[in-house]
Amino acid sequence: MSSVTVRRRTPGAYALLVSLIVLALVMLLPFVIIAVNAFKTPAEYSAHGPLSLPKGLYLQGLKDFWQRVDFGGKLVNSVIISGSVAVLAVILSVLNAYALGIGRIRGRVSIMVVLLLANTMPQEVLVYPLYFVSKKVGLYDTRISVIIIFTAIQSAFGTYLLSSVLSSFPREILEAARMDGAGRLRILWRIVVPISRPTLGVLFVLFFIWTWNEFFLPLIFLISNENQTVPVALGVLQGQRLMDATMTSSSALLGIIPAIVFFLIFQRTLTRGITVGSAN
Amino acid sequence: MFKTGKTLAALTAGLLALSACGSGGSTSSPKELKLWHYEGPDSAMGVAWNQAIKEFEQTHPGVKVKFEEKGFEQIQKTAPMVLNSKDAPDILEYNKGNATTGLLAKQGLLTDISAEVTKRGWDKQLSPNIAETAKYDAKGVMGGDKWYGVPNYAEYLQVFYNKKLFDKYGVKVPTTFEEFTAAMDAFAKKGVTPMANGGAEYPAQQYLYQLALSKADRPWVDRFERYTGKVDFHDPAWTYAATTFADWVKKGYIAKSSVSTKAEDAGTSFISGKYPMFFSGSWWYGRFEKEIKTFDWDTFLWPGTKMTLGSSGNLWVVPKGSGNKQLAYDFIAITMKKDIQNLLANNGGVPVAADPNGVTDPKNKKLIENYQTLVSNDGLGFYPDWPAPGYYDVLVAGTQKLMNGTAAPNQVLDSFAKPYEENLSTIGH
Repeated sequence: MSSVTVRRRTPGAYALLVSLIVLALVMLLPFVIIAVNAFKTPAEYSAHGPLSLPKGLYLQGLKDFWQRVDFGGKLVNSVIISGSVAVLAVILSVLNAYALGIGRIRGRVSIMVVLLLANTMPQEVLVYPLYFVSKKVGLYDTRISVIIIFTAIQSAFGTYLLSSVLSSFPREILEAARMDGAGRLRILWRIVVPISRPTLGVLFVLFFIWTWNEFFLPLIFLISNENQTVPVALGVLQGQRLMDATMTSSSALLGIIPAIVFFLIFQRTLTRGITVGSAN
Repeated sequence: MFKTGKTLAALTAGLLALSACGSGGSTSSPKELKLWHYEGPDSAMGVAWNQAIKEFEQTHPGVKVKFEEKGFEQIQKTAPMVLNSKDAPDILEYNKGNATTGLLAKQGLLTDISAEVTKRGWDKQLSPNIAETAKYDAKGVMGGDKWYGVPNYAEYLQVFYNKKLFDKYGVKVPTTFEEFTAAMDAFAKKGVTPMANGGAEYPAQQYLYQLALSKADRPWVDRFERYTGKVDFHDPAWTYAATTFADWVKKGYIAKSSVSTKAEDAGTSFISGKYPMFFSGSWWYGRFEKEIKTFDWDTFLWPGTKMTLGSSGNLWVVPKGSGNKQLAYDFIAITMKKDIQNLLANNGGVPVAADPNGVTDPKNKKLIENYQTLVSNDGLGFYPDWPAPGYYDVLVAGTQKLMNGTAAPNQVLDSFAKPYEENLSTIGH
């Protein structure tokens, strides 16, 4: 074996390593507890508590939950809603930000302030107005109502973020394009969008995951079981006085897997977007 | 470069098309009974109501029951909005009480079903004690003159005990209150905490309220729960309850460490055989029967009292906007029939109109006989958190102070009185 030059780590580096490991463990612990309890029988859970290891692999909880709430249908709903919102909100954000960040329309500062304020608004405040409006236009208890609402909510943040990014867009490129006779739309689609694509990718991923995890508004607006999303379906297990800890764990496991899978698929988009951002 | 745009557009169009199809068609048709409830499929109610749905479809050819299982939280949070829209179900299970069914009745979102109740004789099947939570007045206060719901089942509290631990420590199962305290004392002397408790949730306040009920009568309960007269939180019943509860903690009948324990943990610790006794509701019954495998257990009513915590279960209510009211009444009628009521009993529920002779399991039979004893004594004392919104948390905080010994019983009773009086003034009594 060739001798490997071991770089001496400073005590500080060790301390950092240890604290990172501890942090990782702390972050993983809830997942581990959920996974452990998801595969236990209810009797085992009651007799030995949440921290004991399961004696065997008990899959009935997962199966029962899947059938009880028609989980496949809920997945489809969640994908439709989160996917539509992510796509529409990115498009809307780009159009808005193009006007605000590059077009520099009049009153842009006040518009940005309004958008920022809209972002800080708690959803509870929005419930009643949205409820009455959606009832008036006949969209109450439809997936489209939730798609419209979250497209607006997410694109408020997206517009705010993208506008600041685009306001530092290199002016020379825009000038050059204009000299070549490119119109506004052409500049947007052929120059601005391709160059800021990493940022748009990050926004897409974030919008998707945020919308996926939304609970409160979908709970209010998706009344029929056939329209419900995954987080709302998980709420079915919340009993009045009793809780079924093992089935709740199973459902939690089923609920987070899709979000994790999505995250893993788009993880590279995320890191790329962040590094591009830092290079600017 | 145009590719991105096109894919995005295609994707959006596709997703929107998907979301557009299948989202309509939720209005109720005459051939469909839209029914919601939030009981698990294996619970006594879940099993019995499943059977009721089957019977309903048999007796109503051509009508389909469109059942949707909901979460408790979801119905609590969204009911006022749903019932005010055209997407309301034709019939649903709803929580009884002033802040829930009472409030919806006051807002005009529920159907007054009084005529139907007398026509179909449900008022004769339901004892006055049980009916109290199904009837509301114009202010939405229970015990009123109009029926807004029908309960199928009841719930009450009793002492669950672990026979194995009683044998092991040579303690006799108590029948009087003196024997009861003697039994707790015997366990405590041997280093075993006799009572399971959850100080962070409802169990602690239920011990406290039970102690008060043992010195109370029906007018006392009516004053407290229905605002029929002035409530004195320093009367003998409340004073006895607070001092005795604090005393029991001091003597080790109830563990001081249970101050931050949840109800779920109190229940599972009884299941795992840690505590000889647990005073709690019949809602545990089915679960104990299923999950306790290592010892024999049984129940007795709190000794030396006429009144115990308990009430009707949740109600079937018919929304004002229900398009199929007659079908909804027909469904309620089926759930009140003997066979459905007995099915409920045989699965560990407490039906309101069962026949103990139709119940096979001896333990289930006892559950129902105990209930009938209580009802015949007019002994259901309801729950302490009912009178005012947010009162549950007031009671949790107060009992925690008693357990920690950070406040004297008198001070704790003062802390109960203040929010109660404040609520009274908003009701306008």
